[in-house]
This record gives sequence, structure tokens and C-alpha cells, in this order.
Amino acid sequence: MNRKVIISILILLAAVIVALVVIDVMNSRPDKRPDNPYEYSVDQFKSVDSTLIKYEETLDFTFGDLVLRGIAFANDRLYLVEDNFLVIFSTEGKKLAKSPLPESPSCVAASSNGIYIGFTNHIAQYNLDGLLIKSWEPLGDSTVLTSLATQDCFVFAADAGKRRVLKYMTNGELAGSFTGKRDSADLHGFIIPSPYFELAVNSFGELWVVNPGQHAFENYTFDGELRGFWEKTAMTIEGFSGCCNPAQMAVLPDGSFVTAEKGMVRIKVHKASGELLSVVAPPEAFEGETHAPDLAVSPSGDIYALDFERKMIRVFQLKK
Amino acid sequence: MDRKKFINNSGRLVLLGGLAYLTGSIIYQRKVSASGKYVWQIDPFKCTQCGRCATECVKDLSAVKCVHAYSLCGYCDLCGGYFKPNTHKLNTGAESQLCPTGALNRKFVEEPFFEYTIDEKLCNGCAKCVKGCGSFGNGSLHLQIRHDLCQNCNECSISRMCPSNAISRVPIETAYLIKGDFKKPAVSTPK
Repeated sequence: MNRKVIISILILLAAVIVALVVIDVMNSRPDKRPDNPYEYSVDQFKSVDSTLIKYEETLDFTFGDLVLRGIAFANDRLYLVEDNFLVIFSTEGKKLAKSPLPESPSCVAASSNGIYIGFTNHIAQYNLDGLLIKSWEPLGDSTVLTSLATQDCFVFAADAGKRRVLKYMTNGELAGSFTGKRDSADLHGFIIPSPYFELAVNSFGELWVVNPGQHAFENYTFDGELRGFWEKTAMTIEGFSGCCNPAQMAVLPDGSFVTAEKGMVRIKVHKASGELLSVVAPPEAFEGETHAPDLAVSPSGDIYALDFERKMIRVFQLKK
Repeated sequence: MDRKKFINNSGRLVLLGGLAYLTGSIIYQRKVSASGKYVWQIDPFKCTQCGRCATECVKDLSAVKCVHAYSLCGYCDLCGGYFKPNTHKLNTGAESQLCPTGALNRKFVEEPFFEYTIDEKLCNGCAKCVKGCGSFGNGSLHLQIRHDLCQNCNECSISRMCPSNAISRVPIETAYLIKGDFKKPAVSTPK
């Protein structure tokens, strides 16, 4: 064969090899790799029928780079606990007072009687100006307090660590506890796979406890007797999904529940009997997939959501 | 100083500097790892469950496996790492399961608790269950490189493609970064 032809073939071969190497290297770049064939997607559940969204966001208060822990509403004021302060705001977002706390708080409740702040294993009572009145007796190492509610002369605390509800007198005396209904095939006591365990007392004086491992709302007497419950497991907007939802809960003046979920973060309103009433904020209103915003409700029905990702209080009101 | 001397001295200096650097780095490595041996491992707090551990490992079946931090898990009936999203029934039927290879098994303990285990002969490290567990559960399922399977390549091919730089060499004394024992480094926040 002609020497020129051989050289041409060799040059062509070399060019092909170089081209293949270049293509391979280019395709090996992380941004050039194919999409994840094992993608875990819940996108289909993130879209919400716009007619269900009956609230609009009307105001935001931002807090910079703080570690926020919880929020409560009482006496026309917002009580916010962060690491390691209690901060009191007006409903317009004006800071009224700031008091140091001895350690990192986990939850807060407020009423006209005072402010109750839950730390990991004890509660402390503050007056409405944020001054410490009394620190209550600690409850032991495995206690993890996640939610507080007050009603008249009682303070109820949700202990996720020991899966129980504690009943205190407002002077700090422990008046009892209960671990949920267990003697029925479909009830198993409180199932708390992670530290999300909520309770609230509504305007009719009913104690409602979220059983997050069952996606259930359980209504108890103040002595721990189960009066009724409803549950709804679904990834669709009508129900709750994951191991521990709803992760946050508050009650509206008419007795319906405002719920916030983790995983697929969304805020909804359910009737006291469980049916979905409306959507306050769909998943697209939030960043991240982990933290459910803590919730507080005003007597007029405005919803205050403490967005842990954006570090702000977001105010939602019924659309006019 | 003439030019020849200058070049000679410069050469000696560079050689000496190189030797000092080499000695220093060896001493540093000895300090970090008593045995001086390093292995590849995944930081579970950096991992974003991109799926590349399943597709980029040089092994036919990836050396990356899902592991379960038993101390963190509530073992519940609603495991988001076990079930497909919005599955109709919470049973062990194949049509309910999230894992593409059926590697995640669960065993009934007592109502409503289950124990979840991973069949490593089937697990391909795709992290689908890890994503489900982290999003809707408590994050007890996570990925680790199994050193009985890993070839400890000079350059880990998964590490090269990892979008979150979650894979790095760690001293062999701490070859596994299991959640629970291994905690996310604390980030200080300004007040």
C-alpha cells in the first residue's frame, strides 16, 4: 500500500481516537452526566388547586441570622423564642422587649396569665413583660418538651421523649400525665418517631393532641380520657404523610386546625372533624423540605408562621 | 555571586524546600492517622442523594450501600424510606416498596413497630430510600462505602462526580461515619 495512504489512515485514526477521548472527557464532567435514574420525586403532590388557597401572605418580619425556636400569640402580641432570648413583638413587627433565657428553648405558649417557655426538660414561667417568675422542676434526662398550651389554671406540655402529655397547674405543680389510648386495635398511644409532638387547647376548652406517627388528631379530657379522634394518611393535600406529621399545629377561633407539615412543607386548615377546609400556603411557598414552620393564631384568625429556613415570621390572612 | 553559583544555590534551596515539605506532610499524615492509611468515605450530612453512587462506582454493583442508624429510628409503620410516595396500602407488597432492587426489608416487631434491614447483596446505593427517609422520616437511612467491597482506588470515581463533595479520604481508624455516633459539625451562629 502506498505510504501516503497509510500515513493518512494513521492520522485519521489518531484524530478519531483524540475525538473519542475528548467526547468522553467532556461527557464525564459532573454537569454533563445523565439525570438521576433513581430520582425520588414527590413533585406531583406539590401542585395545589389554586381554588383551595384561601389565604394570602400580607406581612413578613425578618430576623437576620438567628436560631429561631418557637412562636406564640396572646394579648395582641407575638412572643418569639430564639437562642437564647425571648423577644416580644407587636403585630406590626415592632420589637417591644427582649429578655435573655438561661438555655436554648424548644417551645412557647402565652396567655393573659403569662408566658410559658419549654426548655428540653423543664418549663419556666415569665410575666408578660418577659421577666422570669419561676423555673419549674426539671423532668429528667429523657424528657424532650416540644409543645405547650395553656387554659385557665392548667398548662399542658407535650413530652416527645417519654411520649406523654403532662398536666401542670399554673403555679408549676405537676397535676398528672397520660400516654394516650392503648387498649384498642387502631390506637397505640402516642407514636413519636422524631421530636415533633404538638398539642393545643381550643377556644371551647378542648385539649387536642397530635399523634404524629398515626397522622391523627386526638381529643382528650384534661384527665387524659380519649373523647374522639380522626386520622388521615395521604400524600395528597387532604391528608398527612411521612413519619411525623403534622409537625406543627394551632387552633383557629372556630375550632378548626391550622397544620404545618415537614418533608413536603405546606400549611393547611382542617375542620375539627378532619376534612380539609383550605390551603394557607402550598409547598411552593417554602424553601427546603425539612422544617415545618411553627404556628400561632390571633383571635381574629390571622395565621403567623415562623419560617425557620427564611428566618422570618410570615403573616397569612383570609383573602378578601 | 556569579550566575553559575546562583543557579546552584537556588537548585539546592528548591531541593531542600521539597524535602522539608515531604517530611512535614508525612509527619502530619502520621499525626492524623496512626496507621497512615486512608479510605474513601461519605459524609452523610453532605450527601444530597443524587444517585451517582449507584452509577459511577467502578464495581459492577456499587460498593456504596445504605446503612441504618438504629439508634435514630422510630421503626414506624409509615416509613418514608420504605414506601413509594402515596402508596395505597402500607404493606410489604412489592408494588408498595420504594427500593428499585427490593433490598430494604422490614420485620414486624410489635404493633405498629417494624425493624428495617438492608440486604447488601441487592442494594446498589441509589439513595432513593435515603432521600425518602430524610425528607419524610428522621434521616436514619444513609449511605456509606463498605470497605470490604471498596477497591480504595487512588481516585474514587464516585468522588469525582459527587456534586456535593461528600466523599473524601478519612483515616482508617474512623472508616465509617455512621449517623448517631457521627454528628453534623456544629455551625456557630452570630447573635
